[in-house]
Amino acid sequence: METRDTTQDRVRARDAAMRLLNRLTTGAAVSALVGVGLFGAVSAYTIPGSKTNSTATASTTSTSSSTSTSTSSGLQSSTSPVTSSSSSGVAVSGGS
Amino acid sequence: MSNTLLWYTTRGAGAVSLVLLSAVVVLGILSILRVQSTSWPRFLTVGLHRNLALMTLVFLALHIVTAVIDPFTHLGWLTAVVPFSSYYRTVWLGLGTIAFELLLAIVLTSLVRGLIGQFAWRLVHWLAYASWPIAVVHGAGTGTDAWSAWLFTLQAICVLTVLGATAYRLMAGDRDPLASARSSFQTAVDRREPK
Repeated sequence: METRDTTQDRVRARDAAMRLLNRLTTGAAVSALVGVGLFGAVSAYTIPGSKTNSTATASTTSTSSSTSTSTSSGLQSSTSPVTSSSSSGVAVSGGS
Repeated sequence: MSNTLLWYTTRGAGAVSLVLLSAVVVLGILSILRVQSTSWPRFLTVGLHRNLALMTLVFLALHIVTAVIDPFTHLGWLTAVVPFSSYYRTVWLGLGTIAFELLLAIVLTSLVRGLIGQFAWRLVHWLAYASWPIAVVHGAGTGTDAWSAWLFTLQAICVLTVLGATAYRLMAGDRDPLASARSSFQTAVDRREPK
């Protein structure tokens, strides 16, 4: 009887250790996945890099002399076609 | 998926791979030392060592795939297979390729251990001692964040942990529980040998 009890104890201990192994493995997998996100976020925060647009355009119109302002993500792209004006200059006289 | 997201994933997966690989090395050393208690049988160390090694390969694959498919870097698949074939940081990336291939060899030979025999498996397994430092050097040389405080701290913790386990292994010596029994048996056999 004593031998049987000892065997049962060993089986129970083995099953408990197997459950612990499964839990540890699952925990490590979940932690690793969270770690990828966490370390990725920290790396993005510390060295975010910079985006570059492949096309950079600036729009000018004949009525406005202002140009589009650039942001941290590069030059702002324009949806309207770039136009230019080649009209001759106008001199205004008589002003004070 | 944007380029930057791939880049961040590459860096995150690289850091996680380093932590996992360090844990695998430490567990391997502990299994040699036959560390055990009533609540922590020895097969638990070996089982966790094996599972984490497979997990390391998965996260290394994520690290490599996201780096290769990132259109910003143009690394190409050849870089992931052939060491020192990259135009970008040739030496450091080449070391990473070598570390990955060494780990792959270790895991594959462990899976077919019964076929190749104990001696060949042990010879290949010794490569683990080369794979880990090569991976650390790769991270320090290539990594965008290598000198960022967070990654530097993480690398320092990994290095100190593995060095501590290795030092303990060297100081503890052979923990073979049958060593004294084998020695007594050999002495008895020698005594009974006819002159």
